[in-house]
Parts: sequence; C-alpha cells; structure tokens
Amino acid sequence: MEVTINQEANKTLVVLNGRIDTTNADKFQQDIAPLLQGEKPDIEIDCSGMEYTSSQGLRIFLMLQKSVMARQGQLVLMHIKPQVKEVFDITGFSNIIKII
Amino acid sequence: MRKLFNPIKDKSGEIIEFLMSSPDMPADEGLQFKIRLSIEETVENVVRYAYEDSVGWMEVGTELDVSGLLLTITLKDAGKPFNPLDSPDPDITLSAEERPIGGLGLFLCKQLMDEVVYRYEDGCNILTMTKNISQAQ
Repeated sequence: MEVTINQEANKTLVVLNGRIDTTNADKFQQDIAPLLQGEKPDIEIDCSGMEYTSSQGLRIFLMLQKSVMARQGQLVLMHIKPQVKEVFDITGFSNIIKII
Repeated sequence: MRKLFNPIKDKSGEIIEFLMSSPDMPADEGLQFKIRLSIEETVENVVRYAYEDSVGWMEVGTELDVSGLLLTITLKDAGKPFNPLDSPDPDITLSAEERPIGGLGLFLCKQLMDEVVYRYEDGCNILTMTKNISQAQ
C-alpha cells in the first residue's frame, strides 16, 4: 500500500495504490495522519490503484470521514474499482462517504 | 487441503495465503476477492481474539463438493467459545457521525459468502463458510 499526498492550493490530492489489509492497516493509518489536521480540509482521494480493502481499511476511512466532517471539510473518493465499491456498498459506506 | 498452524500469533498473513493458494480456489478474480475478504475477516478474528495471549492453534482447510461448484472453507480453534454469528449486524442506515468504528468484518463475511455456519464441538470453535463458485463475479 502506497499513499501519496499532494497539497495544491486549498485542495489535498491523495493517491492510494495497492491493498489495505490486516498486515498494513496500521501503516495506512499512519500514512494518512496528515489528513487529520487542518481546518476545513478539501480532500480528494484517487482510489483507481486501490485493489482491495478489508474492514481494517474501512474503519480508517470512517475515522477520516468523521474527522473531516468535524472540521467542516469535505472528502471525496474517486475512481474506485467496482469490487472495492461493492464493499463500500454492502457496509453502507457509500451513503456516508462521497464517492464519484 | 488442510493445515494446522501452531502457534498462530502474527500468522494471519501466512494462514490467509495458505488458504488462497489452495487448488480448490476458483480462478475468477471477483470470486477470489470475496473469498479472500471473508477469510481475512474470520482468520484475523481467531488470531486476535480466540486465545487470551494469542498462544494457541488453528486448523484451516478448503474442500470442494463432488460437483466442484461448492467451495467450503473451515476454520477450527480451541480458543474461548465464540459464535461470530451472534454478533449483531451493524446498522448501515446510520450517518457517519452516528456510525461506530468497527464491527464490519464478520458482517462482510456473512454478506459475501453464501452460507456461514458455526458450531462448538469437543471444545473447539468450528466455522464453515460456503460459496458457490460456478458463476464469475
């Protein structure tokens, strides 16, 4: 799992590559820690390279969503693969995290 | 295909890869995705919680029925009795603020597999998960 974070003006662009599973979820949580700071964050995450997520990854996405909302910001997941999207659909996460 | 892992502390990855490398696994990537996720959630649950200090064993196996269409994955451990099917399903209609963090793993497994059955027998937890692998997904 690789996380790349780029700050462009007021927008934070994130690119995820690889798999989020039980072996690397802790590292993923550390990697996205910078996204948990700052007022009114505007975060776009390119998920086109995310091949898999387990519930360990989902809990981190939910934590991020809660953090972003508490700071009156917004979070968007883009280009999510159909199989991963299904995991978000089954768990109701598609309704609480914006996916385009 | 069957294998005993002892001890299981920090062995989740190895146990998952053993099951996924079974010749019983379907070639279809969509099916593999769902099966892997179900295996990961249930194996991880045993490795983390079955034994208080994580020192204990786990036997895992895969099996195809005579038709070759029904894949069954079995997980067995001698940890504390725990029926994962007793856990309440998460309320997926709640808002992000209301949703508790966690509690999704076993729910995903139940949704992704066709049948999940638990029994406690001779001091062991035995979980069997079945998936019809005849259709690409």
